[in-house]
Amino acid sequence: MQSANLDELKKDSRSLELNTLSLWISKLGIFIVVGIFLIVGPLVSAKFYTLANLTTILQTVAILGIVAVGVAFVTYSGHYADLSVPSVMAFAGIITVATLHYGIAISLLLGILAGLSIGIINGFVVGVYKANPIIWTLAVEYVLNGLMRWIWGANQIYPDLHGNNGRAASSFVNLARQYVGPIPLVFILLFCAVIIGQLILSKTRFGRRLKVVGSSAEVAKFSGINVPLTIGIAFLISAFAASIGGIFLTSLVKLGVYSNGTGYDFNAVTAVVVGGVSLAGGRGNIVGVLGGTLLLGILVNVLNLIGVSQLYQTIVEGVIFIIVVGVNQKSLRKLGRDDA
Amino acid sequence: MLKTGRNGKISSMVNRYRIVWLCIITFLVMSIFAPHFFNLYNFTTILETMCLNAVVAIGFTIVIIMGKLDLSIGSNLTLGAMFVIGFEPHFGWTISLLIAVISGGIVGLVNGLLVAKAKIDSFIVTLGTMTIVQGIVYLYANGGALYTKDTGLGGWLQQSFIPLFPPIVLISVIIILVFEGILTFTRYGRGFYILGGNKETAWLAGLKTDQYLIQGFTISGMTAALAGALFAITLNSALPDLGVSSTMQVIAATIIGGASMAGGEGSVVKSMVAVLTLVILYNGLTLLGAGNSIQILFSGLILAVVVLQESFSLYQRNKLRGQRVELLKEFSLKR
Amino acid sequence: MKTVLEMKQVSKKFPGTYAVKTIDFDVFAGEVHALLGENGAGKSTLMKVIAGYFNDYTGEILVNGKTVQLHSPAMAKANGIQMIYQELSLAKPISIAENLLAGRLPTKGTWLLDRKTLIHESKKLLGRVGLGHIDPLVAVEEISQSEAELVEIAKALGNNPSILVMDEPTSALSKEEVDRLFGIINVLKKQGIGIVYISHHLPEISKIADRVTVMRDGEKVATKDITDVTTEALVEMMIGRAAGEMYRKRSSSIKEDVKLEVKKLSRRGFFHNIDFHVRRGEILGICGLSGAGRSELARSLVGIDPIDGGEIHLDGTEIQFRSMNRALAYGLAYLSESRKEQGLALRLSVGENILSASISRYSPKDGKEIVKKLIKDLQVNPAEDHRMIATLSGGNQQKVLLAKWMATEPKVLILDEPTRGVDIGSKMVIHQAVMEMANRGYSVILITSDLPELAGLSDRVIIMRNGHFIGEIDRVDCTEEELLLAANGKGEYVNAIRESR
Repeated sequence: MQSANLDELKKDSRSLELNTLSLWISKLGIFIVVGIFLIVGPLVSAKFYTLANLTTILQTVAILGIVAVGVAFVTYSGHYADLSVPSVMAFAGIITVATLHYGIAISLLLGILAGLSIGIINGFVVGVYKANPIIWTLAVEYVLNGLMRWIWGANQIYPDLHGNNGRAASSFVNLARQYVGPIPLVFILLFCAVIIGQLILSKTRFGRRLKVVGSSAEVAKFSGINVPLTIGIAFLISAFAASIGGIFLTSLVKLGVYSNGTGYDFNAVTAVVVGGVSLAGGRGNIVGVLGGTLLLGILVNVLNLIGVSQLYQTIVEGVIFIIVVGVNQKSLRKLGRDDA
Repeated sequence: MLKTGRNGKISSMVNRYRIVWLCIITFLVMSIFAPHFFNLYNFTTILETMCLNAVVAIGFTIVIIMGKLDLSIGSNLTLGAMFVIGFEPHFGWTISLLIAVISGGIVGLVNGLLVAKAKIDSFIVTLGTMTIVQGIVYLYANGGALYTKDTGLGGWLQQSFIPLFPPIVLISVIIILVFEGILTFTRYGRGFYILGGNKETAWLAGLKTDQYLIQGFTISGMTAALAGALFAITLNSALPDLGVSSTMQVIAATIIGGASMAGGEGSVVKSMVAVLTLVILYNGLTLLGAGNSIQILFSGLILAVVVLQESFSLYQRNKLRGQRVELLKEFSLKR
Repeated sequence: MKTVLEMKQVSKKFPGTYAVKTIDFDVFAGEVHALLGENGAGKSTLMKVIAGYFNDYTGEILVNGKTVQLHSPAMAKANGIQMIYQELSLAKPISIAENLLAGRLPTKGTWLLDRKTLIHESKKLLGRVGLGHIDPLVAVEEISQSEAELVEIAKALGNNPSILVMDEPTSALSKEEVDRLFGIINVLKKQGIGIVYISHHLPEISKIADRVTVMRDGEKVATKDITDVTTEALVEMMIGRAAGEMYRKRSSSIKEDVKLEVKKLSRRGFFHNIDFHVRRGEILGICGLSGAGRSELARSLVGIDPIDGGEIHLDGTEIQFRSMNRALAYGLAYLSESRKEQGLALRLSVGENILSASISRYSPKDGKEIVKKLIKDLQVNPAEDHRMIATLSGGNQQKVLLAKWMATEPKVLILDEPTRGVDIGSKMVIHQAVMEMANRGYSVILITSDLPELAGLSDRVIIMRNGHFIGEIDRVDCTEEELLLAANGKGEYVNAIRESR
């Protein structure tokens, strides 16, 4: 066998033309949609580009954005979604409020740890035993929701501003109302979450492992990647983000109650999927998730400015959701990148 | 019905009829411990309560058998309830019931078309239609509840002509049995399983896979709306958030009933038994003085245990896959 | 002789290229017509045209002398055409019986399923492929891979085809099962069925085929009677030049020091008391039938599966690890037998796949360099690292898989069926790379069912049967015949004492 001969081996006749434009559309196409809304916005209402309005937009979706960044890791790992997010949010909030007498720092820590403990359970069961993630996190949602109703249902707990821990309570309540200079703290947190999340996903070894796991868990296993651990960390990140979001939400409503996170599960999935993270796993990015979140916020805002009643809004949201995701999936299929 | 286990007859019996055992155990435990549980009146209540989610579970189970997901069942259920109450004053019960069921069917049809033709993930499609239909429901009733003055039909549906089986239960059970029969004993019904087991197999076998998907989702929409409509009639009213808790309960029951999210497995009757189990659990716990919280907690625990048991046994089986029996004997001899 | 299938000037275009270009092809009643060609030559596409996969082919197809349209699997089936797929088309959670009769389940009346006939019919079909002992109501997921392959064949037979297309039917079968399959094929020939037979296994083809058609680059090279061509001539037609000596005995590169030694290694119920060693620069073959425990041994060696007893020594010191990650750190690498399920993530690019096993080894920048180098060394075609792996031909995918493991810089590389279903050109590249690695001092453990490959590459071969180590053959005596005997537990190199235990 002469290696010189091998050069004459036939070329692969099959080729796939890559259209760079559609590649970019599939990557960050969501921002085109966001851009369209940003152009349409001022046409709809002169109020659109006022600072107050833009702040409102961000305010309505900031917590959702933080939660969505976490859920995106679960989706990216090929495990659809973390449906235990609402309970984790409520749980982290309740624990924080319940432990305020230890001081604000410790209570925040305990709140986050409480949320993380749920993430560990999810990660362990889904990672090691390969339980179906939708069903398992749904079960956890039930159990945790039931537990919280049982323990704290009768006596909802709220940060007592006038009690012994008044200082800790007031700093907790101020959390969601805190400004750093002119910018609300929660915005900074959202952008930190997006930047850190994006860096984790694209720049770290964990992110590269997660991509292999999300693309094919079996291949990852045969590549020496610790698949259960990688999936576990994804669920842990989701629980962490949900805890932060839950604590801010609790601070905002000044009440620790089991129903705090209601709706955040599907809304987060919506933001994640609209943001271009493929439900099949291994595809998408966190910046896109920010885009998805912003789109949801701007959409609601524009509909409000036009004066569309709340009743019509959900319908419009649903339609736009299906269209955006449908178009995205179609462009992926055109690229030959979608085998779902 | 059309499947037997290869080895370990007993364990496969336990596994295959898991939900039946679970139901019997729950029933026995509640009979022993819950006060006022064991009487005809309570049993009738239990069966009546079962109807709503059990009928919703028909279509949902079919969708799961196809390996898809339908999150819009809750909204569809509310839609059916709203329409049947809303249209009754104008058209009477028969027509309004028809309108309700057909409306649910149309939503299901849209779901099916988007999944089969536009090839969008069913999770996404139905998440979207869930929002849209809920919006339509709010819009239709202006966000409020609807009531009917004609309470005759609702009363009749709950009358105990036959002990334990008032018409509402009888109708629901018959519908469920009919669908079970179709799924198990007809060539058409088996097609759903083949499609869910492997889409390629179904396509190569000449099954019209798109048709199956569209029909499956349409059935799901129709049964959800029908269940909502029947329930609303017995209540003489329709609430705008009627279906919110149903979605999760039906998903849980269907999985507890043994349907596989991967597709190709599931039974409408088993889903019904699972719904019944949850209702018995709720009912018994209530009689024991437990609140809503304990009920949610327990149904969550059951779902968690079922999922754990399932994935754990699969985990064990995969570990030993390919083991040679004759070698095993040798190994134990040497020790 | 009657012509059952005739294709005239058939073409199928994919965006940009012809996968099949103006092919004339025919099959007689009662013959086996082999279809040969490298991966990407267009064989599979041509067969998919016959099976009704496409509704946009051009040209004319005649079945039994009549022009037909084959625009869906149902239309193909209606015309008596059946295909046995390389990737199984069985639904796993469904019973064997329903799989066998999918799409034509027997009914009483128009609707009701006829359970008795269903069981009866499927038992008959299973009997035809020698699976009469299996309960047809068992789900497909509960039977073994080779049993499933036979079920697949039974399924095709059940449709009483007049034309049967077999795409690599023997790739997952053991020797005995292959013989059984050939028995079935001979019966089918007598019944006047025309068979199209695709395989890379040339000895198999000269054994079973009557005529052979060779394809290259989507076009037909020639159709010949099998008696008129030699294996060498076929290879030349396939790759477009003389093959020369496929396995040139290389000068041995074995160093004295033992790299890896395994003592009494056992995994309960999979393999027991395995002893062997590999030296530096040595290629150690493992010979055995499917189910002998070779892949299982490899999986335990690299920590994917646990070990129940025994020791593993690397460079003389005992090593212990419980995960593949640790094994990789010790320099043990395993190229698994299933490329599509365990080897390559089809949704990732070439570059991402190559680096998927060495994520902690390289920085992104170094990774890029390594990828570039490996693509060049292994002549991956097209040589683009960002291309989706799914768009490469099978042979090139396999090169990428090898590159993935070379990137981990292993000291001991375990190759499990490294060239299964791969065209000859790619096979040569892979062989060359393996030999070069040995020359550079790597130890290679080669598991393959391709006996010429095993005989040609190995310095030494150990023999496994039914989970036991039963003997060893030295390079000098290593011939295909000896290996075949040994794998079946016979021949002079099999250690009689061990076998009897």
